[in-house]
Amino acid sequence: MHPISYFQALVLGLLQGFAEPFPISSLGHGVIAPSLFGWNIHQNDDFFLAFLVATHCATAIVLFFLFLDDWKRIFRGLGRSLRDRQIGAGDNDARLGWLLVVGTIPAGVVGLLLEHPLRSLFASASTAAAFLILNGILLLIFERFRRRPPQPDDYEGDSDSRIAKLTWKEAIGVGTAQAAALIPGISRSGITMGGGLLFGLSNEDAARYAFLLATPIIGAAGVLKLPELMGHAGDGVRGPALVGALAAALTTYIAVKFLLRFFETNRLTPFGIYCIVAGVIYSLILAV
Amino acid sequence: MTKRPKLILPAVLAGLVLLAIAVVYFVEPAGSLPSFFPGHEAGSSHHHAKHGIAALVVALGCFVFAWFQSGPSETDPA
Repeated sequence: MHPISYFQALVLGLLQGFAEPFPISSLGHGVIAPSLFGWNIHQNDDFFLAFLVATHCATAIVLFFLFLDDWKRIFRGLGRSLRDRQIGAGDNDARLGWLLVVGTIPAGVVGLLLEHPLRSLFASASTAAAFLILNGILLLIFERFRRRPPQPDDYEGDSDSRIAKLTWKEAIGVGTAQAAALIPGISRSGITMGGGLLFGLSNEDAARYAFLLATPIIGAAGVLKLPELMGHAGDGVRGPALVGALAAALTTYIAVKFLLRFFETNRLTPFGIYCIVAGVIYSLILAV
Repeated sequence: MTKRPKLILPAVLAGLVLLAIAVVYFVEPAGSLPSFFPGHEAGSSHHHAKHGIAALVVALGCFVFAWFQSGPSETDPA
């Protein structure tokens, strides 16, 4: 008897892969969905954590390969700058690489130290639904207070060079804010995209930056917890986890491709409205 | 990035301290950690490996920062 059935794994994997790149909180939906469906799956169950490891690893791998060319250039840039002990003038790849590093370290450290207490504190579906509403409000605020409105030439030229214009403080700020996504209902990509808008990026550039920034964090979180999937907590879960991971990989690929096209001409606003409406509906259903 | 050579020594020292803290977290169980360390829990045999990883990551960050500060003067206009 599997603690998660193959059908549940398929649904949760599809949901995780879809919701992770979208600014709508995959963790929040992962907490709320089992409650809505009446499944006996809870966020803090050891087997569910082991299952999530697999889906997160799958998401990180897909994100990595979708931006493989970028990562190759970024790694080469990082190597160049380390060799030269400086970021060369106009070396956007190196600068983008270090922006990602300084954005990842604070989120990673906060995540390592606070993940367990936050997960325990905000584990309930009703809390996740409430934070989903807050996430929606934040997305609308990001759009309202973005540094500049969208412009026709936003999408011409090299996206990485525009992202590389972020300052170190801005990168640290956006990176640290990612840690809020440890709370179910708050979206990592939403916070990162919103931060990018506040610091002058276009929607598309902010989305690219969010996906690049998410890859090491999601990947590291998955790798750090791999022993749980391979150990006792993974007993009876590995088969469904593999199904969930494949499903998550598929929907992550589709979602990222869609979002990069979507943000060429659209904003965060529809996702903000969705989060508020869905959060209210989920809260009402869970309260009944 | 503005070069601040005066920060090289403090960054290296901070990195070494954090490296030592990381080793303590990896080696000592929560019950044997100094009482002022986050995660200290009397009688616990649990190892706070995540705290160790966090300290290690920040230590590496300090070393990389010091490495860049020791480089040639700035050519990056950003």
